[in-house]
Amino acid sequence: MTAAERELSEGRPRVPGMKPAVEAERLVKQYRGRAGTVDAVRGVDLRVRAGEVFGFLGPNGAGKSTTIRMLTTLMSITSGTARVAGIDVMADPDAARRRIGVALQEAGLDPRQTGRELLVLQARLFGSSRAQAADRAQELLELVDLVEAADRRIKGYSGGMKRRLDLASALVHEPEVLFLDEPTTGLDPASRLTVWEELRRFNARGTTVFLTTQYLEEADQLCDRLAIIDGGLIVLEGTPQQLKAELRQRRDLNADPTLDEVFLDATGRTRERLAGEVQEVSA
Amino acid sequence: MSAAQQAGVLGGRALREGLRTPESLAPTLFIPVFFLVVNFGQAGKIFPSSSTAFLHGQTYAAFQLPISLLLAASFGSAALYLVEDIEGGYFDKLRAAPVSRSALVLGRLLAEAVKSVFITAVLVVLALPFGVSIASGPLGFLLLLVLTSLWAVVFAGFMQLIALKTRSAAATNSGGLVFFPLLFLTPNFVPRDLLTRPMEIAATFNPVTYVMEALRSLILQDFAWAPLVLGFGVVAVLGVLMVALNVRLIRDYD
Repeated sequence: MTAAERELSEGRPRVPGMKPAVEAERLVKQYRGRAGTVDAVRGVDLRVRAGEVFGFLGPNGAGKSTTIRMLTTLMSITSGTARVAGIDVMADPDAARRRIGVALQEAGLDPRQTGRELLVLQARLFGSSRAQAADRAQELLELVDLVEAADRRIKGYSGGMKRRLDLASALVHEPEVLFLDEPTTGLDPASRLTVWEELRRFNARGTTVFLTTQYLEEADQLCDRLAIIDGGLIVLEGTPQQLKAELRQRRDLNADPTLDEVFLDATGRTRERLAGEVQEVSA
Repeated sequence: MSAAQQAGVLGGRALREGLRTPESLAPTLFIPVFFLVVNFGQAGKIFPSSSTAFLHGQTYAAFQLPISLLLAASFGSAALYLVEDIEGGYFDKLRAAPVSRSALVLGRLLAEAVKSVFITAVLVVLALPFGVSIASGPLGFLLLLVLTSLWAVVFAGFMQLIALKTRSAAATNSGGLVFFPLLFLTPNFVPRDLLTRPMEIAATFNPVTYVMEALRSLILQDFAWAPLVLGFGVVAVLGVLMVALNVRLIRDYD
């Protein structure tokens, strides 16, 4: 491994001294329920550098969504620390919120508003004036190709349109870090490709993308680096190429394995056990 | 943007939501009018205005109107829309924005107050053919609108607490039923001093009694300050309590 590759795999900054976009140390989340304490996340360490697309993979219930909810200030942290864009999310959640965009598993939209109204409202909540919010909404509607549907109520939108609008609403304030929790789940292949293109476009503009997905092909296509979480702990981290090369070498394979084989190896799952947890897709 | 401005923006959105679901307003208007008509129809002759001192020369419908106003003000849909936001993920979208947690609570409550002003005014107009007038005049009518809408805020705040705690539409709906015993443990058919002793004690401990008596005083009499101070005092205390509890729940919301 070259020095550059080693730096990349460890999430070290491209420019020395540059703060990581996301940094978590010994992040823990415990829930207290009737059946006792549940450890959803058991000490996650993460470092995502500015400008990269970082994939966060894991089977259902592994702790992906819980981790992303802690990083985006939506859930309290039991112990450990998390910094996003250099801001401690527990100490100063509002400052962190100004620097992040969030699109969660279900497109979080208000079906009774129009697409334009939703974007204007979101921009206003991030401090834009009425005129600035209207301009920004128009700009984003053009970016995600929803100008024609802009003044229709969201309840009439297709799944793909809702997802694109959700992405646009996460971008109203030009966030430094964009958190996406399964952004393409439930979309048809064409809509999935559109979302991929948009993510690449946002990333090319300098936005760091932190992405969870159950589609390994998606991670392979989009991510500069990825981490696999299982049972609340990170079990593997690196670039897709590094992870495949490591497995190929370790198992003495003739060709590079696929990312789903890497995933199965890392999580100790078989394809049968995995059915219904992680899906392989090609868009 | 200040928390008040944020609450205004969120309140505007909640009002738009209400306007786009006019069907949700139908029961809010129909059931209170139904109560007014039925109660007046059943007891109007028992309490003729000419010989019933507590009516101050008005019809029994005027005595009944505060019940209909409070009923309408307690039909607010803020909590149910909040559950929809929670279930649909939009509430998380709002929570992930740098919005004051108080504004998240107050936005919907503000919209509820505005809706209540409109509904109260419509109900008063609908009550006019039953011989009802507002004895305290235009200023009294204004106070009537303010007091009823403040009660709407209190009750919507209570319902939002259930919504935030349970995150369930069914539980939130059931929580609304708590208002019916509160409404009937009041001097709703006759003044408090004519109630049986146990009912009088129950009514005395029921905060709704004081709001009802304040509204009634505005309808039946010229300004009577004692019931008004009590009525506004009750909604002020309960309003502050509900907002504080809501904000606390949102801050601890995981």
